[in-house]
Amino acid sequence: MVDPRILTEAVHPPYEDKGATRLLAEAWDHIWPWSRSGFERQRAVQAAGLAIAVAATVAWVLAAMGNLTPGAIIGWWFGWSVFEVVVRMGAKPYVKDGPWWGRRYRKASPMDMVCYVGFKNLLVGAVLFIGLKSLGLIVI
Amino acid sequence: MNPFSALRSATMGALLAVATLLGSPPSFAQTAYEAPLPAQINTDPDLCAHVACTEVLPTASSFSHRMGKPTYVEGYRDDAGQRKLVGYVFLSTDIVDIPAYSGKPVITLIGMDTDGIITGTKILRHSEPILLLGIPESVLTKFVNQYLGKFVGDKIEIGKARNEEGYIGLDAITGATVTVIAQNQVVMRSGVAIARQVGILKVEPRPAIRYSAIDERLSWEQLLKDGSVRRLTVKSEQLGMPRTAEPYVDMFFGHLNTPSVGKSILGESGYTSLMSRLKDNEHAIFIISNGYDSFKGSGFVRGGIYDRVQVSQDMDAYTFRDLDYLNLWGVQAPGAPSYKESAIFIIRDPGFAAAYPWSLVFLGNKLDRNTGHRDFVSFDSEYWVPAKYMEGGRPKVVKPDAPWVRVWKMRTVEIVLFSILLVGVAAVYAMRDRLTRLSTRKNKWPVDGFKYAAWLISIFFVGFYLLAQPSITQVLTWFHALLFQWKWELFLTDPFIFLFWIFIIVTVFLWGRGLFCGWLCPFGSLSELLYKVGAKLGLKRFQFMLPMKWHNRLKWVKYFVFFGLLAVSMLSMGLAEKLAEVEPFKTTFLVGLFSRSWPYTLFAAGLLGLSIFTERPFCKYLCPLGAALAMPSTFRWFGLKRKQECDSCKACAVGCGSLAIDDKGRIDHRECMLCLDCMVMYTDEHACPPLAQERKRRTKAGLALTPIGADGYYIPIKPVAAATPKA
Repeated sequence: MVDPRILTEAVHPPYEDKGATRLLAEAWDHIWPWSRSGFERQRAVQAAGLAIAVAATVAWVLAAMGNLTPGAIIGWWFGWSVFEVVVRMGAKPYVKDGPWWGRRYRKASPMDMVCYVGFKNLLVGAVLFIGLKSLGLIVI
Repeated sequence: MNPFSALRSATMGALLAVATLLGSPPSFAQTAYEAPLPAQINTDPDLCAHVACTEVLPTASSFSHRMGKPTYVEGYRDDAGQRKLVGYVFLSTDIVDIPAYSGKPVITLIGMDTDGIITGTKILRHSEPILLLGIPESVLTKFVNQYLGKFVGDKIEIGKARNEEGYIGLDAITGATVTVIAQNQVVMRSGVAIARQVGILKVEPRPAIRYSAIDERLSWEQLLKDGSVRRLTVKSEQLGMPRTAEPYVDMFFGHLNTPSVGKSILGESGYTSLMSRLKDNEHAIFIISNGYDSFKGSGFVRGGIYDRVQVSQDMDAYTFRDLDYLNLWGVQAPGAPSYKESAIFIIRDPGFAAAYPWSLVFLGNKLDRNTGHRDFVSFDSEYWVPAKYMEGGRPKVVKPDAPWVRVWKMRTVEIVLFSILLVGVAAVYAMRDRLTRLSTRKNKWPVDGFKYAAWLISIFFVGFYLLAQPSITQVLTWFHALLFQWKWELFLTDPFIFLFWIFIIVTVFLWGRGLFCGWLCPFGSLSELLYKVGAKLGLKRFQFMLPMKWHNRLKWVKYFVFFGLLAVSMLSMGLAEKLAEVEPFKTTFLVGLFSRSWPYTLFAAGLLGLSIFTERPFCKYLCPLGAALAMPSTFRWFGLKRKQECDSCKACAVGCGSLAIDDKGRIDHRECMLCLDCMVMYTDEHACPPLAQERKRRTKAGLALTPIGADGYYIPIKPVAAATPKA
């Protein structure tokens, strides 16, 4: 029986539902898209991920040296976001529903995950970009 | 009417409009939008070899090379074999650095006669998106032509004239307020700067500084702490160059006439010696500098002007020639840093008032890495002699309001009304539970009354009067500003859009995009109002909703449009602005359906016409702004309510105009316009099937109809054990 009160099937993320532990686990979820089970299921994707991680490292080193254009950084950000959507759909295929301080999770549809990753990475990207720019590491 | 044929014809119309739009580039070819200018325009002494100076100073037949600081050229007329000075021509970017809406300056050539009357203005280059397609560039030309014949010393502002206060008003450009406010500053400040330099405008003398009796010797740290010495640092990345460990220049400076400062820096004898060389009303400042480049400039020649530093006070700029320079042999204040370069500069102009704030300005050329162009850019740091060193303290200085503050003051009434509207709509929606309970399926006025009022206000007051239609172009502009030059002033200059976006951001996270899209978007409101009016006018039989299968396919189009625009904006903002014409907002509200070329009118009118027959086709399938807001709506905090029975009951889904309820009764808040029809049903005991069933059961059984709880069901009747009678 489908629960019409929630857009997709309700799920419980694989961590304890206790105060600080849950907060730390949620924070980790936001930062780290991989999971053990997802990793085993998506070996080809993870191999591509390794290549992207190397490319990302090179990109940030170049950025730190002031040699990366904003276009390249944005391009990298976009590419990373697409990759993260794919990884999360295999590793952590759920999103939060309702208030951010609540504990309702539901199964993520691809669009849910695009929205989640896009929005999260927009915030992360903006913070990083503004930070790097104010430190003078990115020159426009 | 066959829905598919209607959709097909509308789509074909839209594609035709876009194709025509994109296929007619000649209309952009002759404009000043991102017009390529010769690189020498900023540096070549012969300015008029690169721009048509005669167009702005028609009485001149020849022109000098650039002169002065800031620079201008003199225009001459041949008068019986003799050259006669008839006026001046100047390039705005040689004088001021004021960005317009795009974050880039409108480069303007200005002519002025010897009486200070503006004789011509010519826009050489601009990057204003609204003038690319929305508003014809001729409107900007018409705007700047309003300056012709006006005296540069006049008080000119945008809007109505305030005769009692001596202000002359200029007609603004509807929909381009920020651009014209910036342009007014550009023309007036440039004109005043040159008029003062050439002696047309006299500087009003202000009281000379009178020093207090305090006479102390201060360490470097104390001088910095009390503001007697200030710092101006320019990093190489601020000039578009690669980041370096050492700044481009790192200057400390201060006013040497102030006894405590002068004696602390120069020592007693040095101070006495310097003061003996200064005449009345002459002032000396010192600069010491580190950094890998020189503040004096490598190209300085004897007899020339130091072209990298100047002192500015209000609209006056004081530059230094070689005769104004003295060596600074050392800094006596204990703890002073070592330095590579130093100078004492003398300000000889009697207009300089040391008792009032002034700024040291460093003038640089910023390299645009993409185009290779160098743009004039200035950096400054304010200095004001500390109060304790002046008799009676610092004089009262009333700084003129910033342009955005003036706009907020000028439009206070509208801003208050608009704010009331936003807060009111949010408050009404926050009370939705109460309102939906007052409504029934047959009488939704407690909800719809507020919603229809919001639509009407939104269409006529917000859309047609305030022109405050949020648009995807604003999102792109913000993104661009974030990348290149974020200035809050730029966004505050349009108070309605600014407030609207605060409302949008807050309500999207609270309730999803529906409150803006469904209740307050001017175009969305107009679109649905047409649908409702069409039904009332007897067109209901022609009205249709797309089958869910097709809706579920087509709803993704708006996301592709949004991501497409975002991607294109990374490559070219100009192209993204052109493609953003997929929004018919400019045509409908900013410019007017009948003021644009036919493809735009056809497109907007086609969408509005289609809206009569199907509910909000643009909002559902094309709107990039709706898509941008739908994405965070996934994570709205508070959604609409559902009952378990909704999984099989289709009562709400059938009536959902947004097609946001799926076959399992689940609401997709990305698509929901928060019309609240389903919430009216939720508590309507005659319309909601589970409730109606329970009502009938209770009535038949003679049970009380208890109030409906928050879960949408009658509050259960719990039998209470009868009290045992007392013995």
